[in-house]
Amino acid sequence: MFALDVAAHTGPWRSRHPGEKALLSLGLLACAVILPPWPGALLSGLAAAVLLVGPARVSPAVVLRAARVPLLFVATSTVPLVVTVHAPIRLSVNPAGFGTAAHTAGRSVAALTCLLLFSATTPLSEVLPRLQRLGVPAAVTEVAALTYRMLFLLVESVRAVREAQAARLGFRTWRTAYRSLAGQAGAIFVRAFSRARRLEEGLALRGYTGSLAVQVEARRMSPPFLVASGGLLVLIVAVTAAVVVGPQW
Amino acid sequence: MHIAEGYLPPIQAAAWFAVSTPFVVHGSRALVQQVRRDPESKLLLGAAGAFTFVLSALKIPSVTGSCSHPTGTGLGAVLFRPPVMSVLGGIVLLFQAVLLAHGGLSTLGANIFSMAIVGPWVAYAVYALIRRLGGGLDVAVFAAAALGDLATYCVTSAQLALAFPDPATGFVGALVKFGGIFAVTQIPLAVSEGLLSVLVVRLLTRVSGDELRRLGVLRKPAVQA
Repeated sequence: MFALDVAAHTGPWRSRHPGEKALLSLGLLACAVILPPWPGALLSGLAAAVLLVGPARVSPAVVLRAARVPLLFVATSTVPLVVTVHAPIRLSVNPAGFGTAAHTAGRSVAALTCLLLFSATTPLSEVLPRLQRLGVPAAVTEVAALTYRMLFLLVESVRAVREAQAARLGFRTWRTAYRSLAGQAGAIFVRAFSRARRLEEGLALRGYTGSLAVQVEARRMSPPFLVASGGLLVLIVAVTAAVVVGPQW
Repeated sequence: MHIAEGYLPPIQAAAWFAVSTPFVVHGSRALVQQVRRDPESKLLLGAAGAFTFVLSALKIPSVTGSCSHPTGTGLGAVLFRPPVMSVLGGIVLLFQAVLLAHGGLSTLGANIFSMAIVGPWVAYAVYALIRRLGGGLDVAVFAAAALGDLATYCVTSAQLALAFPDPATGFVGALVKFGGIFAVTQIPLAVSEGLLSVLVVRLLTRVSGDELRRLGVLRKPAVQA
């Protein structure tokens, strides 16, 4: 299982309407990306971090583990921003680049925190059926929902195959490691398609007509939550505008 | 190589959404028509999406000593064709952003363009060309997977270079910087992905030949008179 999905399914915001959580977390994400990094992204990121470990009660360990790979990308991609290339290829440190690097890394970390707020509180299984209302074709949302359901089974299969291969010294040399990896990919291909075929047969026996629509649990939007989320977003925009425009008054 | 959430300036992030949208809409139309013609294919497409996601999560050893993940776009394009891959790739990238925080929602357009559009089209073009010239399946699959991976990496480097041009040498200088940094891991990874894809297709030819024939990767045997 994926740690963020587990958090979304077990957290205290599990029963909230996905639209509420989307307004809050994606609104903060939009503020982090669109507003000037100082102080817009900083405020959005801080608000998302406080909400994540506070009311949403997501473990900081889960947040940090999920943030590891994107932070590695941010760290690696920020290096070229502080270096200048002169022709023929000669590198030198560009002091003016430190500002751009700080802005970019700050915006990215803040936006990542907002994304984690959405991921760790909103199960994808609740978002996918509702995408149809946003104009996404039913066939696409149904394929996405099938993909979502099957991938947990396949991830479990890969884990089991990997453990069995490791127990048989399948990763001892490069040669055996590649053969084992090909075995994993082959196993998931065969299992995915055999599962699809069995589903196909099962549905045909039940009079499948082409629609895989599933019942979605009805949830009510909470007006206080919506008002508080809207208020927080307006506050961040107002403070940012005051700080950015303020000195010119 | 996913561009992280919020890394691109907002205008560029929006521009990449605009560039990717026609391809995804075209792929979605192809998918909707295919599902209308053959409702059962929806289940196979779901399986193909799950396979692509899990394939991109496999850990392949890298010469730098660490582990890396294949993009899966080359093998995906050979098995499922580029228009379908633009939709499946988009779904997989959305799942990777939400379930794993790899990539992001604001950078989804840019990541779709490099990984779900350019990568699969380059891979499929290379595969089709080599097969038409009489090349073997192994050679075609290796070249498709390796060059599809390299194309993805080159486009990502170009996207970053466009967003952050070098103050002295502009776009070209920035492309050299970003390309240089990511080449260390991506060139060996492209070769690794090519080799892995060949091994996977060899294995599937043995154990799942009917499925490969259904997908059009293997030719159907001639009917005996």
